[in-house]
This record gives sequence, structure tokens and C-alpha cells, in this order.
Amino acid sequence: MDSVVCVKRVPDTETKVQVGPDGRRIQASGVNHVLNPYDEYAVEACLQAREKAGSGEVTVLSLGPAEAAQTIRQALAMGADRGVLLKTDPACDYYMDPLSVAHALAARLKTMRLDLLWFGKLAIDDQSYAVGPAVATLLGLPCVTEVAEFAALPGRATATRVVEGDRVRMEVDLPAVFCASKGLNEPRFASLKGIMSAKKKPLETVDLAQGTARVEVVALELPPARQAGRWIGKGVEAVPELVRRLREEAKVL
Amino acid sequence: MSLDFALSDEQQALGEAIATMTKRFAGRREEFIQMILKEHRFPEELWQALCEVGLLGCLVPEEYGGNGMGLLAMAMGLEQLARRGLGNALLVLGAMDACCIVRCGNEEQKRRLLPRLASGEDKYCFAVTEPNAGSNTFRIETLARKEGATYRLSGEKTFITGADVADRMLLVARTTSAAECEAQGLPKAFGLSLFIVDTKARGIDLKPIPTHGIEGMIQYTVHLDGVEVAQEDLIGEPDQGAMALFNSLNPERILAAASALGMTDYLLERSCEYARGRVLFGQKPIAAYQAIQHPLARIKAQSEAVRLVTYKAAWAFDQGHHPGQVGPFANMAKYLAAEMAVDACDRAIQTHGGYGFSEEYGIIYLWTTARLLRTAPISQEMVLNFIGEHVLELPRSY
Ligand SMILES: Cc1cc2nc3c(=O)[nH]c(=O)nc-3n(C[C@H](O)[C@H](O)[C@H](O)COP(=O)(O)OP(=O)(O)OC[C@H]3O[C@@H](n4cnc5c(N)ncnc54)[C@H](O)[C@@H]3O)c2cc1C
Repeated sequence: MDSVVCVKRVPDTETKVQVGPDGRRIQASGVNHVLNPYDEYAVEACLQAREKAGSGEVTVLSLGPAEAAQTIRQALAMGADRGVLLKTDPACDYYMDPLSVAHALAARLKTMRLDLLWFGKLAIDDQSYAVGPAVATLLGLPCVTEVAEFAALPGRATATRVVEGDRVRMEVDLPAVFCASKGLNEPRFASLKGIMSAKKKPLETVDLAQGTARVEVVALELPPARQAGRWIGKGVEAVPELVRRLREEAKVL
Repeated sequence: MSLDFALSDEQQALGEAIATMTKRFAGRREEFIQMILKEHRFPEELWQALCEVGLLGCLVPEEYGGNGMGLLAMAMGLEQLARRGLGNALLVLGAMDACCIVRCGNEEQKRRLLPRLASGEDKYCFAVTEPNAGSNTFRIETLARKEGATYRLSGEKTFITGADVADRMLLVARTTSAAECEAQGLPKAFGLSLFIVDTKARGIDLKPIPTHGIEGMIQYTVHLDGVEVAQEDLIGEPDQGAMALFNSLNPERILAAASALGMTDYLLERSCEYARGRVLFGQKPIAAYQAIQHPLARIKAQSEAVRLVTYKAAWAFDQGHHPGQVGPFANMAKYLAAEMAVDACDRAIQTHGGYGFSEEYGIIYLWTTARLLRTAPISQEMVLNFIGEHVLELPRSY
């Protein structure tokens, strides 16, 4: 069972981002980066599939700046076997829209042997939900998004989607594309032992040819600051007052 | 000529591993903090996660189930944890115990004890302090008498952190009493021995001491009344434990310094964030006032210096330098880090005004934690005594 998992380096949800001086990007300095949380589920799904099959390789593919190698190493430390970084040119930092990213990934993926191709359902920075399905389209592979349960059989896989209260179980021929949703599994932590062995695993870096921007970010703004919460009261006695305010002040009832 | 301060890839990966791990629990932060502060318990899930990442395995070689990454890695790990307002004293105590077993234990003991210590399955605490022997370890009175293939331990240990949650403790006892040493003209360092004691063994009685400083854990007085310990659980040679003990005090000091560093970063971050958002006069936030800003800037500068000494101490330990050479840096790091953490907490409180004292903001809880570092694991006075005597080669006053 060979899998490829596409991962993205994203700003840590716990760091407070600031808009950069150009007003179109977040300020890079002082921001911690992490492996996109949805991609952690995807990595874990690949590791479990490999363990269950008893053979196969898990390859981690990422498109991003040189630092994204750290993110790939994180997945290698969790247990993946090898990594490929499609390195973007720091001199040309235009916004890469989801389809441009998908084209770049697909070009490389065409050369790789795989049964499973995993993505996180979204990257927490751009939240476009698009790259996984776009790659599937470009490769002509079936695609299941919002995967909350998964089992791979030889040549086939079952995946359960959880959407708006529904649970839809699907069967799909392999190779296929899957996009992980929260709760798919409990991703293992990258252990220090894993970090040590990740150092010795192969990580190939490919310079990505410069493209042209088709979608441009015009402005980036922070959402308005959330107002501080207010104590209405405590216990059952507070309920009528809470209802009154929700109706009259917040106008949500 | 070159001196490289760049972090290696693994060191960076280690930081990210801790970030990823703590992020996973971000949604339950409040619940955990409540448990730590109000129930004086450390969340078991968080402990498991710390062990899964492998922090406890840093000082344990791979052949005994650890990861062998060393003290610098562990110090950086603890620093990262503290930067997120978290910490666990059993990590420090367990690391110290591991260090003792690795250096002085026999092959059988290493195989039996280390894998479960490194994985966190067995929790370890550390017991040296006694009511009549704090700063002066040689005065301990807990006695271990040999009876055939076992030892019988009697005495009293105090301030023992986590004795209730730990499965075992590394305990320092005398196998030759101070009086016997004196009668035979032996040095006072003679007669100390190290034992691995099961905390649930018969003859052990724990009494909690309500104490502040290490949140999420309780200190105990441990009474030992004829506690039976098998000969196999004596670590190192009988009567020769002093050297092993002092060797593992260096890592404890270095790890305490690393925690103080992380805590300082955390306090600075919290202070800057609060000061940026607090507007009182005109349009400018209090962060713009130099009376608020400069102390924070000063602490930031200080922290970079303390980081260098701390890393250097850990590096010297990992290089296998003689404990006598690691000692000066370990002591200096602990001294500087403790002063800095107290200062950082003081300024954080001042920056927060009245909210610095509110439970909601939680800064005040860190005050005792920071302040404790001036007193334990070793007092600032004893650190200065060490530097005066062993680095400056000045005479002892005591
Ligand atoms: C929260 C907490 C947790 C602890 N956890 C543990 C634990 O897990 N295991 C354990 O074994 N111990 C533990 N301790 C004990 C701690 O290590 C001791 O409290 C510390 O070493 C100081 O010893 P003491 O309290 O007996 O003070 P003393 O030794 O009585 O010292 C009192 C004062 O006199 C000063 N002084 C003493 N001698 C000299 C000298 N020669 N020159 C100058 N000044 C001197 C000291 O610096 C100090 O200020 C803990 C303590 C606390 C508060």
C-alpha cells in the first residue's frame, strides 16, 4: 500500500497574526509555523494504512518555501518514509491560487506510484477546501472529501463522509484521493526518537519554476476585535434576562 | 575561527514537536489549568503526551528505551513547554533519576528500570531533603541497615514533590551514619547510598505539606519505618553515593534554568499582549510608556544572555565534561535564570495592574513558581557559595 500525503506549512493557530506592511500578507516574523492540523489526520491515515497492509511507503509532498522542509520532517518524524519539497522561489512571492498549487502538485504526482493520495480537507490559513479535489480532477482520480472514517482493502477503500448530520459510506477503487476531516483518527505525536530518525530519511527538493499570478490578493484585514463577554448572572435565575438580551440587544432570537 | 549558534534541524523540529503536541490540547487548556491550580493534579493525558513525545527519554540511551538526544534537547523541550505556560516537575526529577541510574546503575538495573522510566510508565520522584538537612545533604539521618540480602530504611524525608503520584523514588540514605564516619575518621561525604524505593512499600507513610510553588503537584513528608529495599535496588556502590548524587544535581539545575527561561518568555509575551491592548490616557496603549516598555525590553535582553549560559551548561554536560567543569555553568545558569524569572513575573504583574492579581489572568499563580527557583532545587546562597569557592577559589565561611 503506497501512499502520498500532501502537507502544508501554516501559521500556528495560537500565534496572533499581524498584517504585514504591504497590507496583503501576514507579517512573517514572529509567527510560529506548524503542520496544517488537517494534514496530521491525513498523515496518520497513511501510516495506519501502511501498518495494516504490512508493506508500502508513505511519501510526504509539500509545496512551499525552503522552511516547509521542517514541516515535511515533522511528518517524517511521525513515521512517513520519504519527502519531496516543491520549493517556491522566494524572489517571486505572488499568491498561488489553489489551482496553480494543484497543477504543480499534479505534475509531480503523475510520476509517482501510489494507491492512496491524501490531503487535509482544508489548510487553516487559506481555507479554500480546493487543492485536494483539484488535484483529483487533474489526475482523473476519484475523490472523497470530508473523510471521517476510512479503511483500505486491496484495490478498494471504504470512506465515510460526515456532512450536516448525515453519514455517507462510500466505496471507491484505488488509486483515489481522500481529504481528511477532523476526528478521522488520533494522530500520533512526532517523538524525539522519530525526529532523530527523520534526519536520515530522504528528502528531495525540487525548485519550482516561476509562474504568473492569476488571482491577486488585494487587501488583507484582521477581523474586528471580539467584544469582551459580559456576565448576565449565574444559574437558572439568569436565564430570563439572558433571553431578553438575546432578543432585544443581540436580536438573534 | 568559528562559533556556531544556529539551531540544528533536530533542535528546530523538537520545538515544532512540542508546539504540535500542546496545540492538540489548546481547546482544553482552561480545563487543564483548573485541574492543576485548583485540584493540585496534573492531567494524566498531558503527561502521557509528554512521554509519547519522549521528553523523559532524552537522558536515557536508545539501547535502554530512550532516545539519547541529551540534556540540551530536554532543556529546549522544557523551555518550549514553559513558553506555553506548562511544566511538570516530575520531568525534571525523573531526568535526574535517569541520569543517576545511567551513570551508576549496573546492567541489570538499567535494563529493568530505564525503559519504563523513559516511557513514563513508571513515574519517579526524588528524595534527599530532610527536616534537619536541607542545604547540607551530608547531615541526612535516614539510615539504611543491611540485613542479609535486603536493606531496612528508617527516617524522614520532607518536601518530596509528587511522592503520591510517583511509583518509585530515588532516595538518598546513609549506610554509614555521620557518627560512625566521624569515629572512623572517614570524610563526611562517605556513607551516602542511593536506593530505588517503591513508593507503595510497607512502612512508608506520606503526609501532605500544603505548599505553593509547584502547581499541580503536592509535597509530602515521607516517613520510613523499616522499609525493606532489595539489594538489587541499591544504585552504585554502598557508601559511595555522594559523587553520583552530585553529578545528577547539575542536570536538575540546568533544567530548572530552562524552565525559568520558558516561563520568562511566556510572561513577556503575556505582558506585551496586555500592554498593547490597554489604553488609559489618550490614544496610546500603556505599551508605549517607557516605564512599562523598558523593563520588558531589559528582561528580553537578559533572557538572551541567560539562554546562552543555560545551553552552554547543557552542552558541557552532553559533551561528557567532568561534573566539576559542568558545575560552574549549571550553577550560574540556575542563579541567573531564577533572578530573571522573579523579575519577569514582577514586571508582568506590574504591567497588568490589578489584573496581575486576578485568578482569571493567572499571572499571580506564576509568582510563587518563579520565586521558588530562588530557594529550590538549591538556594541562591548555596549557588553563590559554589561559585565563590570553586570558581573564584575563595575560602568557605561555613
Ligand atoms: C515546593 C518545593 C518542592 C521541593 N521538592 C523537593 C523534592 O522533590 N525533593 C527533595 O529532596 N527536596 C525538595 N524540596 C526541598 C528543597 O530542595 C529545599 O527546601 C532546599 O534545598 C533548601 O533547604 P531547606 O529548606 O532545608 O533550607 P535551609 O538549608 O534550612 O536553608 C535556609 C536558608 O539558609 C541559607 N543557608 C543555608 N546554608 C547556608 C550557607 N552555608 N551559606 C549561606 N546561606 C545558607 C539558605 O540559602 C536558605 O536561605 C522542595 C522544596 C520546595 C519548597
